Amino acid sequence: MVDIEFRHVSKRYAIPKARFRQQPRASLWHGWRKWASHKPEFWALRDVSFKVEHGEALGIIGHNGAGKSTLLKMLSHITAPSSGEIIIRGNLSALIEISTGFHPELTGRENVYLNGVIFGMTRREVGEKLPGIIEFSGIGDFIDVPVKQYSSGMYLRLGFAIAAHLDPDILLLDEILAVGDVAFQWKCLDRIEQLRKAGRTILLVSHDLAAIERLCDRAILLSRGQIVCEGIPSVVTAEYQHSTLLISDSPASSATLSRTVECTKFSYRGETGAEDEPVRTGDCMMVRLNYLAHTALDNVVFNVYLYWPSGYLCTQLSTGQSGTSVAKGTGQIEFLCPFVNLRPGLYLVDVSAERPPEVMDWRHRCAILRVDAGSSVLGDFYMPHEARLFQDGRASRPPEIVSSFNELYSGGS
Amino acid sequence: MLRQHLTRLVQFRDLLYVLTVHRINIRYKQSILGYCWAILHPALLVLIYTVIFSRFVRVPTDGMPYALFAFSALLPWTFFSNGMSGATIGLVSHSHLLLKVYFPREILPLSYVFAALADFLTASGVFALLMLYYGVSVTINVLWAIPAILTLTVFLTGLTLLTSAFQVRFRDVGVALPLVLQVWMFATPVVYSLASVPAKLRFWYDFNPMVGIVETFRGAVLHGASANWTLLGGSFAISLTLAVGAYIWFKHVEATFADII
Repeated sequence: MVDIEFRHVSKRYAIPKARFRQQPRASLWHGWRKWASHKPEFWALRDVSFKVEHGEALGIIGHNGAGKSTLLKMLSHITAPSSGEIIIRGNLSALIEISTGFHPELTGRENVYLNGVIFGMTRREVGEKLPGIIEFSGIGDFIDVPVKQYSSGMYLRLGFAIAAHLDPDILLLDEILAVGDVAFQWKCLDRIEQLRKAGRTILLVSHDLAAIERLCDRAILLSRGQIVCEGIPSVVTAEYQHSTLLISDSPASSATLSRTVECTKFSYRGETGAEDEPVRTGDCMMVRLNYLAHTALDNVVFNVYLYWPSGYLCTQLSTGQSGTSVAKGTGQIEFLCPFVNLRPGLYLVDVSAERPPEVMDWRHRCAILRVDAGSSVLGDFYMPHEARLFQDGRASRPPEIVSSFNELYSGGS
Repeated sequence: MLRQHLTRLVQFRDLLYVLTVHRINIRYKQSILGYCWAILHPALLVLIYTVIFSRFVRVPTDGMPYALFAFSALLPWTFFSNGMSGATIGLVSHSHLLLKVYFPREILPLSYVFAALADFLTASGVFALLMLYYGVSVTINVLWAIPAILTLTVFLTGLTLLTSAFQVRFRDVGVALPLVLQVWMFATPVVYSLASVPAKLRFWYDFNPMVGIVETFRGAVLHGASANWTLLGGSFAISLTLAVGAYIWFKHVEATFADII
């Protein structure tokens, strides 16, 4: 069963200009008609078609201005499409910055009622859910204090708590994962997961690619109002990363780099699979960096930097402080990693050729390293390990750490 | 189509209720006099008009004390004027909601209309005390006040559906409104009696639906008069046509509010 269907939906916005200056005597009605047919326009969405099955979780990603919010607004009836058709089966709730409906003078409790009914609940339903909402928000006794005295965190938490207790067939979520502290974010993610497991259809718009991958069955990439990619989340998020990050050139503009030694190519290969195909956590990996040296040089340091999607440096591969000597011509550096310690995800790659303190070449975001699930990992990184069992009362030796290691690493291979 | 809209509205009736109560409660938050303002406001108006129109200028009042005469018309008029000023800006002042959540948009202007109705009922209590003080007795005809107020509510609803939607596109509406209300009040028998309107103007004068409403209300509560059928019936016909037309139009343009607000 299909819950949501977009059929060739387009949305055109007229861009207002100073409109009454030219015709000061235009009547209100004339002005209205004129406004409606005004020329300068902008297509927020153009011929978008897709379907969402019942119980499916669809993620929508795209740059700012790609049309995500417009899409959500049309889904939630806030605005109508200029052409095309939207079919929705079941009742639908949109959680778009829910705390915007709060009135500062009202208490938390009064605001829960107000917002609950705004989102289509009856007063009785709100009353039944109130204890759950208060508990989820963790606001406690502050529930009877006017919300103008709340901290911004409490404000948002109460907002999401209301949202989390709506019980729609179809749930629209827009960037609400950026709510509160980390613990509360997890609570929110869990709640969404719960709704998902309960068979609700979910549409999630987010810049948080990890959340999209974790929560969604399928994803759509929007660009300039059109669907450019649709499929399983990991593929679509990778596509998104490519489209955003690979185009952006080095912040240290290439003009200032001498390029005496150039980095020409970055590639990697895992234990299984071909070049540049995803590697797996716990496997070994080889990273190769091709270079072109215009003259022979000493002390050249090659670096590979891996960044989280958020832009933070995750780790670095380097030829070492003192560097290597390179002859004129082309060559390649191979970095051999016995264990990929990275947890599954996407990593953005910078490569550089340096001769401290000079940076000769720096390729900003020149590739994406994709790590898939291998050895199971919870947390930030994978620590290579083996587990051995010794039972009390049996013939065994006390675990002696150095000899154990020797055995593990010499005896094994 | 109309039926569908009304079903939706009924589904959201709790929102209308909560918003109306909220309007009434919020108005006097952080004020010392609180709800007393709902009574003080019309009472002070009556005092001012009484001083002007019975001390400075003598206005014929059909033998009634001027305070009662003015108050009986100011009650429906204040309902109308408060409802208009609140509801007209009702959509625009909730733009944050219009951009985020869907609910039948007419609930916003309607909640102001009903809040004004509640204020009207409070002030009516004060008026009843004033009647007792002056020893004016009422007859069964006082019940004619009910259809008068019903007509007024319908009229106000229709008008505010128009003005609030226009205000979304043209903020001129809100700016012009106080002036329009001022002129309108003087085109309605509030501070003077209907009898003092020149006969040759009456034909056009009666097209103002507020004439039938205010006159019926005053007649019913002060003089125990039954309604003038043509006057009240005419007002009701105009009000109902306006309300239905305005509602259909409102639902038609509703989908564009979020784009232009």
